[in-house]
Amino acid sequence: MIIADFGTSYCKIAQDHEKPRIVASRDLDRGFRADLATGHNGRRRSGRYVNELIALARGGEALIGEGDFLLLDCGSRDIKFVRYRDGRLDDMGWNAECGASMGFTIELLERYYDLDFTKGKRPEKTFPVTCGVLGMSAIFDAISNGMAEREAVAGLIRGIAENAFRFAGSPEKVYLSGGLCENRTFVESFPCKTIVLGRFVLIEGLKRILTHG
Amino acid sequence: MSLDLSRVKKAGIVGVPPLAVIRELYDGGIELVDLDATLVAADLECAVTLLPRVYCAILRTVVVNGLHLDLDLIVIDTGPGKCDAAAHTARIMAEKIATPVVTCENRDRDHFGNPVCESGLPLIKKMELITEGVKLPYNKNNDLPPVPASAGFWGVPPRDFSLLELFQDTTHVYGWSRCMENKTPADGTLEAMCNPAVPTVFFAQSFCAKTALARHLAASHPHGLYVDVDATATASCRAKIEAFLELSGAKQ
Repeated sequence: MIIADFGTSYCKIAQDHEKPRIVASRDLDRGFRADLATGHNGRRRSGRYVNELIALARGGEALIGEGDFLLLDCGSRDIKFVRYRDGRLDDMGWNAECGASMGFTIELLERYYDLDFTKGKRPEKTFPVTCGVLGMSAIFDAISNGMAEREAVAGLIRGIAENAFRFAGSPEKVYLSGGLCENRTFVESFPCKTIVLGRFVLIEGLKRILTHG
Repeated sequence: MSLDLSRVKKAGIVGVPPLAVIRELYDGGIELVDLDATLVAADLECAVTLLPRVYCAILRTVVVNGLHLDLDLIVIDTGPGKCDAAAHTARIMAEKIATPVVTCENRDRDHFGNPVCESGLPLIKKMELITEGVKLPYNKNNDLPPVPASAGFWGVPPRDFSLLELFQDTTHVYGWSRCMENKTPADGTLEAMCNPAVPTVFFAQSFCAKTALARHLAASHPHGLYVDVDATATASCRAKIEAFLELSGAKQ
């Protein structure tokens, strides 16, 4: 049994009882298919597809032992959240268009400027950004006006975190999942308590769907 | 309103014109087409000659239809059941297209009931019957039996009917669509009605004033989801509705 979260930039794949592995989407064999899958490219690569919000919600149910929680997934292409109250779904959101490509933009800028944000603290400055493309324009302008590259990109990361926080309804505490969890500057930029669940929450959701139906 | 229908064989309607007008057109044997619906293959971009790009997709569709269909008359409801945007569109079309455009205000209060809204038909079929019903001076679906609701769809008939595929057949219809079937488009009380006992999707077309009401009602509802869609439903919007219906227990 292969289950997979086929993300835009990275695929998370779990086979039987093995530890899940991460493969860059561009490196995945074109013929690779899973038995059960979610994610942006999941529909065409699997026998059974589960939509990402459902996988996220089921992952939250599996990993968070609370009736009230807000789980926010920040990936390469989009951000999405589920909010539970009294053990029931209370609200949800999925921002794939306006405000999109934030994770992808951060990775692009990190590579371009050879920066590493796996360690870091909350940046002092923030950029008000609405999407990856506009964010990049703001970065280039700031750098051409003399701002240090690291400071400018960190400001963008903080702006993205603050956008995600507001998109999720400005919660007091947020559980985080998705690739941006590994960006410490991003996590530290949230103006609320954060609990990082890692990159395999949707995989855990798929496992729960397998066992609970 | 008194119309000279002597040379009218085919007329387009926008919104829900008053019953008296519909009856006059119907009794005159005039073919009616609903210009709110997608009737021609032309791209929505064609509307940019008369309307801004960022504008209600329904009214942009009206303009595209008006520009491409061979009509003898266009009747547009600009009453309290419609919107300022429709009144402006009517004025622009009257000035810019060859087909005569007349406006009217529907303030009808006689209730024709909601058998379609509460039936067990697929939601797309329900919406097709509701929109088709605007062209008739009576409700031809009174024989449909009601079914208990498992979910609700509140809002106007969407420009993109494909999003209705996501709902189960036991979805009841609320909002302006319900007012349409009831032939009382200006009945604000009926429009604001919903069922707090069932998970409900509150839908509005993007850039429509009804987005405010939809979002407010969704926030007040014990289990509501607000969505707005422009010309076509995006994958994320469809996924949100699909997940909401499953996770809320509306769809088992």
